Amino acid sequence: MVIEFKLPDIGEGIAEAEIVGWFVGVGDHVEEFQPVVEVMTDKTVVEIPAPAAGTITEIRATVGEKVPVGRVIFVLDGAVPAAGAAPAKAAPVAAEHAPLAAAAAPAAGGAGPASRPGPRDGGRILAVPSARRVARELGVDLAGVSGSGRNGVIRTADVQAHAAGPAPAAPPGAAGFKPIAIPPGPGQRRTPFRGLRRRIAEAMVRSRQTAMHFTVVEEVDVTELVALRAKARAMAERDGVKLTYLPFIMRAVAKALARYPELNSQLDEVAQEIVTFSHVHLGIATDTANGLIVPVIRDVQAKGLLQLAAELQDLVERTRAGKAELDELRGSTFSITNAGNIGGTLATPIINFPEVGILGVHRIVKRPGVLEGPEGDRIEVRQYMNLSVSVDHRLTDGANAARFLVEVKGLLEHPGLLAL
Amino acid sequence: MTKASAPAPNDTARGEPAAGGRPAPDAPWLRALFGHLVRTRCIDRRMVQLQRTGRVAFVGPVTGMEAAILGTAAALEPRDWLWSGLREGPAALLRGMPLDEYVGQMFGRSGDTGRGRQMPNHFQHRGTNFPSWSSVIGTQIPHGVGAALAARRRGLDEVHAIYFGDGATSSNGFHSGLNLAAVWKVPAVFVCIHNGWAISVPSHEQSAVDSFADKAPAYGMPGHEVDGNDILGCHVAMRELVERARGGAGPALLVARTYRLEGHSSADDPSRYRAAAEVEEWARRDPLARFQRLLFERGVLAPGEPEAIERAAYAEIDAAIRRQEAAPDLPLPSLVEDVFAGVPAHLRRQYADYLDLLSRRGPPRRA
Repeated sequence: MVIEFKLPDIGEGIAEAEIVGWFVGVGDHVEEFQPVVEVMTDKTVVEIPAPAAGTITEIRATVGEKVPVGRVIFVLDGAVPAAGAAPAKAAPVAAEHAPLAAAAAPAAGGAGPASRPGPRDGGRILAVPSARRVARELGVDLAGVSGSGRNGVIRTADVQAHAAGPAPAAPPGAAGFKPIAIPPGPGQRRTPFRGLRRRIAEAMVRSRQTAMHFTVVEEVDVTELVALRAKARAMAERDGVKLTYLPFIMRAVAKALARYPELNSQLDEVAQEIVTFSHVHLGIATDTANGLIVPVIRDVQAKGLLQLAAELQDLVERTRAGKAELDELRGSTFSITNAGNIGGTLATPIINFPEVGILGVHRIVKRPGVLEGPEGDRIEVRQYMNLSVSVDHRLTDGANAARFLVEVKGLLEHPGLLAL
Repeated sequence: MTKASAPAPNDTARGEPAAGGRPAPDAPWLRALFGHLVRTRCIDRRMVQLQRTGRVAFVGPVTGMEAAILGTAAALEPRDWLWSGLREGPAALLRGMPLDEYVGQMFGRSGDTGRGRQMPNHFQHRGTNFPSWSSVIGTQIPHGVGAALAARRRGLDEVHAIYFGDGATSSNGFHSGLNLAAVWKVPAVFVCIHNGWAISVPSHEQSAVDSFADKAPAYGMPGHEVDGNDILGCHVAMRELVERARGGAGPALLVARTYRLEGHSSADDPSRYRAAAEVEEWARRDPLARFQRLLFERGVLAPGEPEAIERAAYAEIDAAIRRQEAAPDLPLPSLVEDVFAGVPAHLRRQYADYLDLLSRRGPPRRA
C-alpha cells in the first residue's frame, strides 16, 4: 500500500508551510508516529510524524520550500495499516519520547531540548522564512550565520547581526588562553553561545582589544532642558510624537561633532588613512529582548528635534520588534548609549568600533546646586545629568574629547542654542 | 453524614476512580488512578500525533494538568455531575466514558455520539453525567449552578462539580454563577484548574488577588487553593468539599494550581508568550512522575510496571484509533436531524435540494 502524504492543515486554516528539515531520507524505514519532517507555518514550528509504518520512497519537497496545504510532500510504501503494530513494539515510541520511567529524572546537567539531533544534521540549514527572505535581499550566505533559535534555527535578527557586524574575529576571549570548561552540575541552565549574543561578544572584544579606550566625564546642569522638554513634549504629542531627551542630546552631539570632526571619524586600516565624515549618522544603542542592537539615525546634522524624535521612536520600536531593515543597522559615524532610563549614574561606554567616539547618557537627578549670581552664591534645587564620552586614543587625544564634551554640555545647559 | 476536618494529603483516599462507591484507600485504587494518569498522557501524545498528520483536526492537550483534573474528579460519585470547562475529557474517561466514544469524538465519524456537531476534543457523555462543553469561557458555570439548584429542588442527592480555568474567573458566568450558588446554597463545587495562563494572558495580568481562592469569600463561600500537581492532595481536598456540599452546607471554590506543559491547542505556539525556563521549571514538577515516585516509595508499583501500563495504554488507544478512523461517515440525513424533534419542512426542502445537487455534481471531494 502506497500513501502519498499530503501536507495537512496543522494549524487552524493555514494555507501553506515551509519545510524546515527532514528527519528521514529516501529508503528509510519509519514506524507509525515517528517524526518525518519539521515544518513551519505562520504560527509555529511542528513535527509531522509518519501516518503509518513503511519505507520512505520519495521526498517531494526541499528544505526551505513553501508548500501549499494539500500537496504531496512524501510517499510512504509498504505501509501496513498496522493494526496494533505500534503498541506491540515500544521502540518507536521510546525513540521519540523518553519512556515514562525516565521522565521522573530530568536530564542531568540540563542538556535540554538541544540534545536532540536537530534537523540541521546532514548539512541542511534551518532558518525561519523571514530570515531567508532577508538573507536573499542582503546576499547573505546562511551557511555562515549562526542561529540563536530553537535547535539553532536562524532568525531574522541573526541575519541582520551577521550582515551588520564586522567580519568574525577569533572566538571572543580565546586569544592566547586555554578555553575554560565549566563542568555540568545541578542548578545550571545552559544556553548556546551563538547568534546575536556571540556577535555582540565578538564586536566588544574587537573594540576593546583594538581601540585605546579613554573616557572623560562631565556633569551637566539640565534644569533648563528639563523645563524646555516638558513644554515641547506637549507640542510633540499633538503630532503623535513622544519627545524624550535623546533628540536634544543628538542635536547637541551633531553640533559638537561639526566643531570637533576628528571624533566623527573612522580608521581605514587597509589604506592607513583616517576617514572623517561630513555627515553625522548616529548609532543609538538599543536594548532588545535578544540583546544590544544599534540602529542608525542618518544625517542628524540636518534634522530638527521633532523629526529626530519621530524617526527615533519609529526605528527603536521596529528594532525591538526585529523589523528594522539592515541598512538601518549600519553606517553609523558616532554612537550614543543611553542607560539613563534604566539606572546607573556613570558608565564607561565601549566604542562601537571602528568609530572613534561614543557618548554615554546617564540618569537625571535632582540635588542642590550652587549658582553664582550678582548677589553672590546661592543654593537651588537643580537637575543634573552625567555624560561620559569614550574615545579611541589612537585617533584623537584626551583634550579633544574634553573639548567635545564641554561643547555638548554648553548646548544642553542652554538648550535654546540648539536652535541655532 | 459525618464530615472529617481537613485531612492531610497522605490521608487514606476513599472513593473509586472507576464506577462504584466502595471505599478503597488501597493499592488497587492507587494503581487504577495511576493507570488513568498514564492513559491520559498517552492519549494526549497520540492525539497530537494524529493532528500533525491531518488525521484529526484539533487537539487541546492536557499534559501537565492531569493530576488536578483526575484527582478532583475521582472524588465524585457516579450520580454526581461534571461540568467541563475545557480539558476534563479524561475525567469523563475516569468516570466510565468508553475510550471509543472519546476517540470517536476526535474523528467525528459515525462513532461520535455528538454526531459531528462539536469541534474535536469537545466531549460529552450521558452515562457519566458529563454535558457537552463549550469553548466559550465560563458559560458552563451558570448552567451547572442551575442544574445544581434543580437537583436540590427535586430532592436528588447529586453534587455538581463545575470546572473552569483561571481565565474564566474574569467571566460574567463566574460572577453570576458563584454569587447565586452561594445565595441559593446549591450542592456545587467550583473547581478552578489554574494553569497560570489564559491562553497567552498570564494570570497576574487578569487579576490582582494573590490566589483566585480569595475571590470565594466575597461570594459567601469558602475558597481553598491546593497544589494541582499533587493528585492525592487534590483528591482529598475535593472529597472534603464534595461531602460538604452534599451535606447541605453549600458551594465552595477549589483552586488547583498547575501548569499546561503544551500549547493551549494544536494551533498554538506557547514559546511566543512564555519563557522556556518557566516550562522547564514546571516540567520538573510533572504530576505523573511525582505520583509514580510516591507509588514506588509505597511499594504500590514495582519497577517495570509503569512501562507495562504505558504499553497496555497505547495498545488500547491505538486499537480504538483503528476502529474510529475506519468507522463509516455519519449518515447524510444526520445533517438535518437532532436540532428539532422532527425534521421541519424547510430543512426537508434544503436536504432535497442538496441531494439534487449531489446527483448532478457528484459527491464533494474530501480535502
